Amino acid sequence: MSVFIKHYRPCGLVSGFNNKIWRYNSTTADVATSKNEEDEEFRVLDILKKRDRQQRRVARRADVQPDRADRMAVDQNWGNVWPGPKSFHPSSVPLPLRQGYVPRGQAPPGKKANAELMKIPNFLHLTPPVIKAQCEALKPFCTEWPKLLNSEEAIEKHYPVEIISSDYCHASPSIRNPLARIVTLRIKLSTLNLDKHAKDKFIRLVGDRYDRETDLVTITADRCPVKKQNLDYVNYLLTACYHESWNVEEWEKDKTEDDMEYYDWDKNASKKSLVNWYLRTKNENRELTDEEYVAFDISEIPNGEEYKNAVSNYLNDGESEVTVKNYAKSVRKLLGLPEAKVVT
Amino acid sequence: MYSNIILPRQWSRIACFCRLSTIEGQKLPQSGKSSDGISPPPRIPRGPTDILQALAATVGPDPTAAHYKYHDDPYLIPLSNYRKRAYALSAEAGRKAAAWIRDEHASLFNTREWDPPSKLKTPYYNADPIIDAFEPKPIYNEESKVTEEDLKYTINNALLDDSIKIFQLLGGIENISEETKLALLQFLCFYNEKEPDSMEWLEERWFSANVRERQLATWKLGGLADKIFASIEPKTPEAYCAVIQGMAKHYQAERAHALSQEAIEKGIPLSTEVFNSLLACVGFLREGTALRAEALKGLLTQMGEQGLSPNEETLTACLRSISSWGGGKMLQELALQVVAEFKQLGIQPGLSAYYYLLCLFCKERGPRIDILSGILVDLENRENLDAKEPTDTNFFITAMGVCSDHLQDINMAERVHALLMKGDNYKLVGDAYKESIYYRHLVTVACRHAPFERTTELLDTLVPNVYVPEPSVMEEIIKTLEVAGAGERLAQAWSQLVVFGIAKRVRLVERLLSAMSSTYEYQTEEVKGKMRDAAADILKFGKIAENEQNAKDLRTPVQKLSANAVSNIVELCSDVKDTADANWDAVSEGIQRLKQSDATGVPSRPQALADVALRAATAGKLGIAASAVQYLAECGFEEAVPASIQALGAVLNRPQEEVETLLEKQRADLTKAVHPSALALVDAYYLAKTGAPAREADSSTSSDSDSESSSDDE
Repeated sequence: MSVFIKHYRPCGLVSGFNNKIWRYNSTTADVATSKNEEDEEFRVLDILKKRDRQQRRVARRADVQPDRADRMAVDQNWGNVWPGPKSFHPSSVPLPLRQGYVPRGQAPPGKKANAELMKIPNFLHLTPPVIKAQCEALKPFCTEWPKLLNSEEAIEKHYPVEIISSDYCHASPSIRNPLARIVTLRIKLSTLNLDKHAKDKFIRLVGDRYDRETDLVTITADRCPVKKQNLDYVNYLLTACYHESWNVEEWEKDKTEDDMEYYDWDKNASKKSLVNWYLRTKNENRELTDEEYVAFDISEIPNGEEYKNAVSNYLNDGESEVTVKNYAKSVRKLLGLPEAKVVT
Repeated sequence: MYSNIILPRQWSRIACFCRLSTIEGQKLPQSGKSSDGISPPPRIPRGPTDILQALAATVGPDPTAAHYKYHDDPYLIPLSNYRKRAYALSAEAGRKAAAWIRDEHASLFNTREWDPPSKLKTPYYNADPIIDAFEPKPIYNEESKVTEEDLKYTINNALLDDSIKIFQLLGGIENISEETKLALLQFLCFYNEKEPDSMEWLEERWFSANVRERQLATWKLGGLADKIFASIEPKTPEAYCAVIQGMAKHYQAERAHALSQEAIEKGIPLSTEVFNSLLACVGFLREGTALRAEALKGLLTQMGEQGLSPNEETLTACLRSISSWGGGKMLQELALQVVAEFKQLGIQPGLSAYYYLLCLFCKERGPRIDILSGILVDLENRENLDAKEPTDTNFFITAMGVCSDHLQDINMAERVHALLMKGDNYKLVGDAYKESIYYRHLVTVACRHAPFERTTELLDTLVPNVYVPEPSVMEEIIKTLEVAGAGERLAQAWSQLVVFGIAKRVRLVERLLSAMSSTYEYQTEEVKGKMRDAAADILKFGKIAENEQNAKDLRTPVQKLSANAVSNIVELCSDVKDTADANWDAVSEGIQRLKQSDATGVPSRPQALADVALRAATAGKLGIAASAVQYLAECGFEEAVPASIQALGAVLNRPQEEVETLLEKQRADLTKAVHPSALALVDAYYLAKTGAPAREADSSTSSDSDSESSSDDE
């Protein structure tokens, strides 16, 4: 039968394998005869059962056909051969693949009986022609993309609300997954129509759901059992927060300068001193009320705007090299002092 | 656990920025495009599986792969019909075992047992949503408490034995409502009180050998169905329809007709389906074609009187009756008349109707009538072919049979095949049995009438994954290969024989060997080598089979190759220049076998063996040459004399005349002059010349030992 096998596997691999089998049989025969001789003299305790393991015969079938990869036409449609995702199988893939770790200077093991190739997920089912064909097949189900939504900015402008939810697909009798109920809503705060007070209140209402750096408000709901309910709930939350932030309560008027969450230069002593100083330099000696101080237009003071910004930044953004330097610069400009010389 | 995580981004649009609460996009415009260029266009309606079907349509057939129900692995791909059947049915047996456990231990699957203290059991399904097909089937026995709901459940799920049992448990006819009684009657009539094959076991249905249904009156007279029918008072039209259809379906024609007449007399309206079933069995009422045709027409007019319009099944039923009455000009004309009349009514014949037409017109020993081309034109123009009746699956196998046996036209066969491969028409192929007959016809007609390239192309796509040729078809293939002189494919055919499990068919192997030897000389050296290997392997295979027979003591003895076949093997194998070639072993074994009369008969071409002797002598295989010549001499062939002279000439490297003069001498002188192994040739010469060995009785044994020693020398 060996001829037959050889004929069927033209790669010559089998004939080598055959030789090995023959050699193997003869060695086991030798072992058997020597064992008989040994038996008479001394019995050896064979803990690892090395002998038995050696003698186990490998039953091999003779009529195994060659790999179907050998018979594949060069111009075949690969999508027909490998239509869906599955683990690698050497006899169906007509590629001389090699994979695995070996010491330097050796070739990695071939594709047959190679666990390394089977472990990794392959994308043999998603070759470019297959993707193209599948896209063509799916086209009849697709509608045209709205023409005016031609850029990211346009999409963001017209569809500011983003809903994120997950669907799960797994092999089990149940198609339900508790994680699928979670719904997340994201929106840029700048797209909401809020004034200064409402924005402040909105941020206070949503708390840590607002990210100052990206300007995104993220609302996640998972308290209801079904996705639809959670979706309704996040929409409700957003609506409620929005309208609530526009409400002005009676007690909000009691807010004093001490309650301010940021430094408002117009209402602080810094402006008072600046105005006073300015008036004195013009030799006017007026007594101003608090409202007058606030309403005072500082654009008539040379370099006053710059000074205002420098002071506000210094107090709002915190003390840093830049803010301190800016402050120094604006004060020099305001007082007409020369630029600081950098001593090196 | 979670293989795929998809994060869809849903954008819900805000109409104006100040009012978030109204999310637009739910009100969709009706045109295919977006109305304002911003809001999404309306969704294109689609079914739940449309996407999957669209994707599946991009995948075509793969000729190198086995059917997807088998494992894609060289060790597990079945290559013979036996294995295909065994593997598929084994897998199904596993499924059946699982289903049995599920049904026997249903409580393990639909209850949850709570921890102590109370060992409470509550119903629990791990599947969500619950899939009825995977639920444990209820088991009914004498103790089970049943209600009418259970009866309805069994009727809806076609569990016939269970429904009868429940019917009895419920206390018979009196205790069920009229509605359920009618449903049960219809159910019993449809299946004739026989448990139908389950739809669940696809492989069993696919491989079950569907013998053509015998037209016997199998209706159970006085059975449960009859009893229930008798108990229904007053008799409703539905009850009449059910009983008449059941009787007609199971060939109780006379009673069915009597009942139908009774119903008509009583003024009970009958349905079209009732008349269809009556038409299908009208032939059982009368003898003789003319009377039967008259009865058929009578029924049709009666149908018209009842105000019923015929449908496609009516046409099929008529043609079924007509085709079962035999052949002949008159019936054929009647059939055409019927078809024409139905076409006028706007009813196109279906696949079953065409099947019956083919049966009627294309008889095996009848004149050749080509109605198939017209049928094909009609079918090719249809969008898709739907299966409507069970007999629809007979069309393609019959059409291909007509192409092969009746018309013997490869172009027509290819058209039929193209039609079968179009769309998802392949579902109309029927079952495994029909499929293999279909391909048997296709391959046969291709081998006989198609150009060789087309035949080989077809074989390459079909064999072995779609179709494994039966011995008769294999013979046809070998014949084709021989005519085309395709040596490589012939060599391959041997391995196919082994793989398909038909290598023990001696006739086939002999056919293959003669084909190989007749095409051998036209091949290239490489192909010749392959053919030699195949021939040697045939010999080896026979030996293995024999050993197996001896070891296992098989009942059916292994047939032996004929002497002709063995001499073909010897001839093929001896065509090697290299003296160390392994094929010489096969040659010597073949000759040995011939000599021990292990092969039946004598070779028809002794010259072939003479050539072998010469070649062996030239190659220095004196033992082989001697035994070949000896065999020739023993069989009394004239070729033995010249063969031995030529062989000796080759061994001694002398011209023929010199050898002839040498042979004139006494044997004793020769013994000194010639090498002992050459002496065997001399002996053969004397044997052929005189009919008796030159030496005494011990000569044969010594020549044997000589040949052995000579082969040792080399």
